[in-house]
Amino acid sequence: MLKSKNLVPRSRFFVANSVIIFVFIILLIRFFHIQVYGHNEYKKRADINSIRAIPTTAPRGMILDRYGQILVDNYPTYILTGLPNEMGNDNKNFSVISNCTAIDTAILIDNFDRYFRGRFIPSRITKDLTFDQLSCIEEHKHELTGINYIQFPERSFPSDVHMSHVLGYVKEIDRSLLSIMDDTEQYDAGDLIGWRGIEKQYENILRGEKGLTFLQVDAFGREVGTVKDINDIKPIPGQDIFTTIDLGLQKTLEKAMSDYRGVALVTDPATGQILAFVSSPDFPPDIFTGNTTLREWREIVNDPTKPLLNRITNGLYPPGSTFKMITAIALLEGLMIEQDEEFECAGIYQFGDRVFKCWKVSGHGKVNLDQAITQSCNIFFYQAVQRVSLNRFINLCRNFGFGSKTGIDLPNELAGLLPTRDYMNRRYTSRGWSRGHLLNLALGQGDLLVTPIQLAVYINKIATRGHTFIPHFLLSKVPEKTISIGLNEQTWVNIQEYLFHAINDKHGTGSAADPKINGLNVYGKTGTAQNPHGDDHAWFVGYVEDGNQMASTIILVENGGGGGKIAAPLARIAFDYIFNKKIENRLAVK
Amino acid sequence: MFKDIYNQASDMPISIIFMAIMLTCLGLIVLSSISTNQFDVIAITTFTKQLLFLIPALVGFLTILFIPKYMIHKYIYAAYSLMLMLILVPFLFETIAGTHRWINIGLPMGVQPSEFAKWIVVVALARYLSDHNLQMKKFMTILFPIFIALVPAIIVLQQPDLGTAIILLTPILPMLYWVGARPFHLFMLVAPVLSIATAFHTISFTVWAICMGSIIYMTRPRLIFGVVFYFGNIFLGLLSPFLWSSLRPYQQKRILTLFNPELDPLGAAYQTIQSKVAIGSGGFLGKGLGEGTQTHLKFLPVQESDFIVSVIGEELGFITIAVMLIIFANFILKIVKLAFLAKERFAGLVLIGIGTIFMAHVFVNTAMSTGMIPVKGLPLPFISAGGSFLVSCFIMIGLIMKMGDESIE
Repeated sequence: MLKSKNLVPRSRFFVANSVIIFVFIILLIRFFHIQVYGHNEYKKRADINSIRAIPTTAPRGMILDRYGQILVDNYPTYILTGLPNEMGNDNKNFSVISNCTAIDTAILIDNFDRYFRGRFIPSRITKDLTFDQLSCIEEHKHELTGINYIQFPERSFPSDVHMSHVLGYVKEIDRSLLSIMDDTEQYDAGDLIGWRGIEKQYENILRGEKGLTFLQVDAFGREVGTVKDINDIKPIPGQDIFTTIDLGLQKTLEKAMSDYRGVALVTDPATGQILAFVSSPDFPPDIFTGNTTLREWREIVNDPTKPLLNRITNGLYPPGSTFKMITAIALLEGLMIEQDEEFECAGIYQFGDRVFKCWKVSGHGKVNLDQAITQSCNIFFYQAVQRVSLNRFINLCRNFGFGSKTGIDLPNELAGLLPTRDYMNRRYTSRGWSRGHLLNLALGQGDLLVTPIQLAVYINKIATRGHTFIPHFLLSKVPEKTISIGLNEQTWVNIQEYLFHAINDKHGTGSAADPKINGLNVYGKTGTAQNPHGDDHAWFVGYVEDGNQMASTIILVENGGGGGKIAAPLARIAFDYIFNKKIENRLAVK
Repeated sequence: MFKDIYNQASDMPISIIFMAIMLTCLGLIVLSSISTNQFDVIAITTFTKQLLFLIPALVGFLTILFIPKYMIHKYIYAAYSLMLMLILVPFLFETIAGTHRWINIGLPMGVQPSEFAKWIVVVALARYLSDHNLQMKKFMTILFPIFIALVPAIIVLQQPDLGTAIILLTPILPMLYWVGARPFHLFMLVAPVLSIATAFHTISFTVWAICMGSIIYMTRPRLIFGVVFYFGNIFLGLLSPFLWSSLRPYQQKRILTLFNPELDPLGAAYQTIQSKVAIGSGGFLGKGLGEGTQTHLKFLPVQESDFIVSVIGEELGFITIAVMLIIFANFILKIVKLAFLAKERFAGLVLIGIGTIFMAHVFVNTAMSTGMIPVKGLPLPFISAGGSFLVSCFIMIGLIMKMGDESIE
């Protein structure tokens, strides 16, 4: 009935009005609370929402040799990225890319997952795109969503030396690495970090500082322009590093060592600078850049010649006869031997129930200390070393730096093994070893293990009469002193004389090391270290000086046989290169 | 003298039209701001669309104005039946945006029949309640009107559109109250809903059980009835976890994230958070039209309809929000006043029902945008973009003019 009366009590009208007014007051209070009371906080939130700071990579510093020739450079490559939010869930993007690049979809997806950092941050799919691949991707752009390519500075190695153990390599930080890193302030996934060698050691110098670009982004993370009132922070490029390496010498020695497994190390005793550093075999330094396949990588890892091993800082060897100077110094320092005192070498020596042999089967006859080193007579040292206590011998070794790290500026150096009394007791029990141990030590055999870089410090100390410096690669570095030894000056003079004779005497075992340059004095000692795993290792340790400049060298050829025959000629190559090119002029250049 | 003129004007239902126009203009201003960054292939932006929809809105408004009141009263049941059929039609079509809300009429935009159901249900209810000289003091007599609203609500719920379904049910209570139902009977209607809602938390359910017990005790119904009603509700509350699992996942999620917004940072809570950031960052005076970063960088979801109030808050500030809310409050108070002054019960009920619908929209929309209630897709009357709803709103304005002003007859 349309005309029924509208009879509403006033109280109900009042209740209705009250409810409406109440609700609107609540709403007004709510808006006031958010907009006026909470304004500052929400304003901040809105700004954070829409401004994104994008880090811009700083170009990494170059690594140069001592004359400024480039060892490691940056080379722009193209990398392909995908923005997860825009890519969608199907794998169509990947199959198109796979068609263009001939890289398996599984690898692409794997890469994408590894670098994934969030829906709105581009993740890397592949890199090292060639121009053909890029143009193919450009052609198929309409089939791709959220795919982009950007330039990326890759490490490149324009010189044709390897030096892989020195230079090391950089690694791209991926998600798994990021989760275990301490310093996540400085790094993001996709950044490069020095992972081995100089790249790691001098990461702080090479890295530079990232810049920031401020972008206005929308809710989908898409860039819509730059932000008013905020200036971008420019990246600070990493500094170039001058190394102490002499590129020409390095190249020469790498070539000379290419047929051998072993070590060629040239340092300047006067400064501790490392001029050449060859650990052979090595591997191309660019193996960690580019798309190295798993198979190639496995080949290197499983190679029985161990190319990944840095033999100079991490190879452990018995030093053989190159160690004889320790005994000689111990004797001279303790005044336990006269200069002309002679021992009889019959080629064989019985000590207790053990028989020790000289390398010269017929024996050297009567030899004094000078001749014992010159001709590398074993029997002399077997007998003479018995005058020295083990503790004294070990202490002297310690002073020369054996048994501890040299402090070279490469990561992960090994300390070698100095078999002290404690060590022998622990290993063999106090009854399990005898004084025959000392006889072994005198010839650099037995449990003793040294690294070639320790031998370099040892020979540099002899060359500088105890005033050498820690070997290093950074040219600008102020050389650090090695531990002082404090020997009599006469001891140094004698030892240097013996080493001179070992090269220049007609019976000298190291004569092959002499490049025969006028005014150039060559000192050295060969070694032929017995080695339980195969043929003897050939050693040469020595140095040269022409009155102005010095250079020392350590040569090791694994399983090479006689040190005089194999190692010494390699040392000559080094000396020849340096002094034929007038090292004094070149060292002056910095 | 000016005061007299003002008083006269505000007493005339014509002020309803002024307020509606003011709100529509505010909506157009905000939509034009949103549209500045829309780059469609064809030059149809949300703003121009809304402008175009004003034409059918005006037609709808005038049509209602020219239909005599008795005709409305006479044919409303027929219209109600037609409406029921129309809200079933979208189920014949493929889903749009995952729902059966729209009827495709071959234009770029569809028609959403459930929007028209809102006022048709109100008028149908008004006719039923005014036709039958109902014994409002009896509980059973208020049950049938509930079915009038419940049937379309259930259909709409299947589309699924929880927001509209709730809106269809809201006029029942105020309209029953208006025709004199006992408050205790209304309480009995609400009680089951509250039993379900409180059942998810032990403390809230305990408090509710105590309140319900005291209300029943105070109103002193027959003992047997009181006991049955009380334990019936408790039982329903205990059953509600099973009812809960029958809800759709997105509805569950929306309700859950109200209580714990961190549950779903990119879902419903993301919308709420972004909306609050937009409103809050606007401050007292706003960032200026077209300057809202939340809006123009698309951090705000569905900004042209469900979250349009956030755009107003961000760009035009609290001052505009306050003015808008005051206009809405006046608008609804005016409708209620007209309902009170109406001579016929039918007219009064239509006005109260329409007032409730506007009130529910404004409350749900703004409360949702400020994170007070779960996210429900409900537009803000006159302001949000959306053709069917705009037309529906102006038809309701027509109904208000029709029912509220005796002189038009």
